[in-house]
Amino acid sequence: MTSAEIDYVEREVRIAARPEVVFEFFTDPLKMVRWKGVDAMLDPRPGGTYRVNVTGREVALGEYVEIVPHSRIVITWGWEGGPIAPGSTRVEFNFIPDGDGTIVRLRHSGLTGEAALQHAEGWDHFLPRLALAAAGQDPGADPWVQSESSQ
Amino acid sequence: MQEVLKALAEPRRQEILRLLGTSELASGEIAGHFAVSRPAISQHLQVLKAAGLVSERRLGTRHLYQARPEGLAELRAFIEGFWDDALARLAQAAEAEERRLQRDQR
Repeated sequence: MTSAEIDYVEREVRIAARPEVVFEFFTDPLKMVRWKGVDAMLDPRPGGTYRVNVTGREVALGEYVEIVPHSRIVITWGWEGGPIAPGSTRVEFNFIPDGDGTIVRLRHSGLTGEAALQHAEGWDHFLPRLALAAAGQDPGADPWVQSESSQ
Repeated sequence: MQEVLKALAEPRRQEILRLLGTSELASGEIAGHFAVSRPAISQHLQVLKAAGLVSERRLGTRHLYQARPEGLAELRAFIEGFWDDALARLAQAAEAEERRLQRDQR
């Protein structure tokens, strides 16, 4: 095993929509919330920040690093107060024309770095909620909100 | 998964894991790579072992350690699952948008 093998995750999907149509789902907040999150604030230019409320409780936070219209987006990625610290990992999306559709290729890197894992204790709380939300279900009230306010 | 993440959250243990990814070493040899005591290294090795990230075998009087890449499978599976779900939703939303645009053109 080398660190290079464990450090990133790659995924790919073919979408029956043109790259310029798909691309806008990464830069237009109203379109962003149609696939990711319930609320999004985006400043899609290099160095611009984004803040996406993923589940109603879990907030993804980072910066746009690189933007090539209809072709490529690189962002930093993390969860506010979550197991992967904001800014600590990097996600590249490449949009490759494929007939009248698009292949979206994703590479999420930096996953096992020190900064990425500094909130390791957050995972047990975070994962079940995120898994539910990703499956389109409401994870419900966050039990931590209660316990934190009572401390 | 929790144990894996806790084990990985310590920078020294990440370094040990990287070292053991390329060679099988005894704890004394591992300690030789770092400016920390052997007991400290042994403790890190126990945490890594408990998390399933390294394996240990005995050779005579020596205990040899090696990284177990399978130990990281859960973390990878979670991240992969997260993006698979997100991309599936993206496909659904973008395809609906494309159909709408085509319809409006006609």
